[in-house]
Amino acid sequence: MAITGALAALADLAGGLLPLSTRDLQARIEERLAKIPNQLNEFGFDAYGMSPEWLRRASLPSALLYRYYFRVETFGIDRLPRGRVLVIANHAGQLPFDGAMLATSLLLEAEPPRVARAMGEYWIPRLPWVSVAAARSGALVGTPQNCIRMLENGECVVVFPEGVRGMNKLYSQRYQLQRFGMGFMRLALETATPIVPVAIVGSEEQQPGLVNLASLGRLLGMPALPITPTFPLLGPLGLLPLPVKYRIHFGAPMQFAGDPSDEDSIIDGKVEEVKAEILRLLECGVRERSGVFR
Amino acid sequence: MEKVLITGISGGQGRLLTRRLIENFEVCGADRVDWEGHPRGVRIHVVDLRKKKFEDVIRSEQPTSVVHMGFVRHFRSGAQLRHDVNVRGTKQLLDHCVHNGVQNLVVVSSGYVYGAFPENPYYMDEDAPLSASRSYPEIRDLVEVDTLASAFLWRYPHIRTSVIRPVNVLGYYVHSMIGQYLRQRRVPTVMGFDPMMQFIHEEDLADAIALTLENRLQGVFNITGPGEVPLHTAIAETGGKAMPIPEPILKPLFHRLFQLGLIAYPPGALDFLKFPITLSGDRFVDATNFRPLFGLEETLQSVRS
Repeated sequence: MAITGALAALADLAGGLLPLSTRDLQARIEERLAKIPNQLNEFGFDAYGMSPEWLRRASLPSALLYRYYFRVETFGIDRLPRGRVLVIANHAGQLPFDGAMLATSLLLEAEPPRVARAMGEYWIPRLPWVSVAAARSGALVGTPQNCIRMLENGECVVVFPEGVRGMNKLYSQRYQLQRFGMGFMRLALETATPIVPVAIVGSEEQQPGLVNLASLGRLLGMPALPITPTFPLLGPLGLLPLPVKYRIHFGAPMQFAGDPSDEDSIIDGKVEEVKAEILRLLECGVRERSGVFR
Repeated sequence: MEKVLITGISGGQGRLLTRRLIENFEVCGADRVDWEGHPRGVRIHVVDLRKKKFEDVIRSEQPTSVVHMGFVRHFRSGAQLRHDVNVRGTKQLLDHCVHNGVQNLVVVSSGYVYGAFPENPYYMDEDAPLSASRSYPEIRDLVEVDTLASAFLWRYPHIRTSVIRPVNVLGYYVHSMIGQYLRQRRVPTVMGFDPMMQFIHEEDLADAIALTLENRLQGVFNITGPGEVPLHTAIAETGGKAMPIPEPILKPLFHRLFQLGLIAYPPGALDFLKFPITLSGDRFVDATNFRPLFGLEETLQSVRS
């Protein structure tokens, strides 16, 4: 309470100081959030700790980055089906700004607006504050049970099947998809959920990783320790991403059928189809863009 | 009238259960301490569950049903005694049930047996592994009790046995650890963590135990109450003030204070303030149509009433 209270107070203070256009953005966030149906208890939380009130106050920084820093453009977001859906995207950029921007696009631009229920890494609940922020904004630990529950509730579940393999890849590997986990496909088959492949163009250049000192990182309790031109050279400032332009391409929904407990080789074939579609969207997006920063 | 024997009858939950059952059952009980002012018609036997005298009680009372909730739940007298009373006591009781024609047995275990872990999925069902000992060895006796009772359930199918695992119990009579924790004016928490927690009111739990008995349930059941809130909301709602302390300071502090006997909770309990442990009570609701009478607000406020 104290933590979220302090964050909320800061957000409110910022809201008071910021110019008019920001207030419009805040109004838009509130209007969009109000359209999202959810089941809250008398204290304003859903059963998984998500809080629309927290989202209302915490979305502004994200929306500001979305509009003015990364100048996000979305393509084909109208293809997102209503009801339960699995959004599968590429993951890059050392810090999960891609997740935040995808979630913001789902809130601000999808019709109807959606809260992204992100399936997070197992170590996220171990991080102080991050664990609270993740839960309040709708993320969950990516266990199969959690994912099935969300899909059965008709939610929009976001999965980055590359995980940290993708997030902490090097600049030389940009726009090359890393190995995909297969869990999402089994869950899609089990719940007959459409999959929407998404290509995020821009995040792959935001923090060019030169080397990844993974073993040193593990010593410090982190899954990776990427070295970028600015980090750790500039300290915390070096964590700031470059002002790349984000372009988020939503593909057409893909529906798969089959036995969710099939052998890996069969499931992998279906995963490869999704991966190929994301790669196609990525290549298209990179080819057609006017530049990394504009 | 059917006769039920309650172990741990003099504790808060035992008393509430007695009052709930007394209309329809002949109630007797065993406890290490007496219940002064117990209702007329209820016989209280002051015995140690581990001793021979307890078998004499069962033999002479010949109860049809037994509710087992006579456990040491505090840590004041050391882990060894706790383990001995809880595990050996349960083992003895199970043997007595077999040899004295008991037909129904309810063992009141606890939702804590699943353990609090970062990778816990939300709303775990009864098949989730009992991992509490991994991070909280001080309560491994509770896990052993649960395991003993579950094994008994399969080994003696002619005795209708149910093992129930309720979530955090709050109320005026019950001195649960979480209740004592929330009753403090200033409540220490782990800075940067705020897990979802489920609660149930003591009277609702008494009702659930009675329903288990009345419905002759057989199996393992989670028992959940009116809902769940983040820990800090629970603290605010019970009228306390949360005191977030960074974990690197809190953990050794807890350890030291516990060793000195100044606080009642062992360090392993800290994980329950960091990670969610939420249960699905669907199986029990499907079997009994149980509905808690007390809402979340009333349940939380009951710790200060």
